Amino acid sequence: MTKTVDCRGLECPQPVILTRKAMAETEAVTTIVDNDTAKMNVSRMASKQGYSVEVQEKDDGIYLHLSKVGAVPEEETAPASAAVGPGGPTVVLIPSNGLGRGDEELGRILIRSFLHTLDEVEPLPATMVFINGGVKLTVEGSPVVEDLQALEQRGVDILACGTCLGHFGLKEKIAVGEISNMYTISETLLGAGNVIAL
Amino acid sequence: MGDPQYSVVLFQSTSGVLRAEKLAKGAALKVKLIPVPRHLSSDCGVCLRCESADVHRVRSILDAAGVEFDGIRPL
Repeated sequence: MTKTVDCRGLECPQPVILTRKAMAETEAVTTIVDNDTAKMNVSRMASKQGYSVEVQEKDDGIYLHLSKVGAVPEEETAPASAAVGPGGPTVVLIPSNGLGRGDEELGRILIRSFLHTLDEVEPLPATMVFINGGVKLTVEGSPVVEDLQALEQRGVDILACGTCLGHFGLKEKIAVGEISNMYTISETLLGAGNVIAL
Repeated sequence: MGDPQYSVVLFQSTSGVLRAEKLAKGAALKVKLIPVPRHLSSDCGVCLRCESADVHRVRSILDAAGVEFDGIRPL
C-alpha cells in the first residue's frame, strides 16, 4: 500500500517530518513537494532510512516515490546533497566549545552564531564530528542543542566522541547525535572529500 | 528573513547581548542569540532574537536593568 503525502506549500522541515511519519506506517511512500530544497531534504532522509528514491517532475509538483529496500551500506548513508563534493562528503570537525582563539567568551558566542547559520545556508555538511571540549555542545543545557537537532533532522550525522564525553562525565547527558568512537571518527575524517576543522 | 513571529534586539557590544540574554532567560522569555540578519546591521555582529509578542517585556526588562541597546526590529 502506498501512502501519499502532499507537502506542496509547506515550509521546511515539515515535508521531512511528515514523510518520516508516513514511513513509520508503511514501506512505500509518495511525497509531493514543490521546491528543490524539500526535494533534496526528503530524498536525503529517505535514502538514509534505507529507501530507494525515484524522482518524477510533474507540472503540479515533484513526486518522490520512496520504497523500502532494506539497510543501506555504511558508505552510502551520507546525505545525497551538495554536501557530497566530487571528492567525497564534507565533514565539519568541532574540537572545542568555542570558535577560534583569542577570547573564550567570544568564542562561545561565535560558535552559537555559526551553528545557527549552518541551518540556514547550503550546502549542509554530511557529518559533524565533535571531539574534546566540542562534545559539550551536544549535551543537555548546551545553547545549540536545538540547532544541532534541526541539522540532524535534515540528514546531517552528528558524531560525539565517546572518550571525550566520558572524560567530562557527560555520557549520560548527550542530547543530540550519537556517541561515537575513534575508529568511526577516523574513517569519517579520512573518507571525507573536505574536512572543515574549526 | 521576514518571519513575523520573531523580532531582534540589536546591541552595541557582545557584552550587552550576553547581559540581555541572561536577563531575558531569567524572566523565562524565549530568546536566542543569533547573528545579525543580513538585511539589518549593527555595531555588534550578534543580536538577540525574541518572540515579537514579547517585545514590550524585553524592552522594559532591558530598560529597568540599564542595558543599552540600539533598537528592536522585526526579523
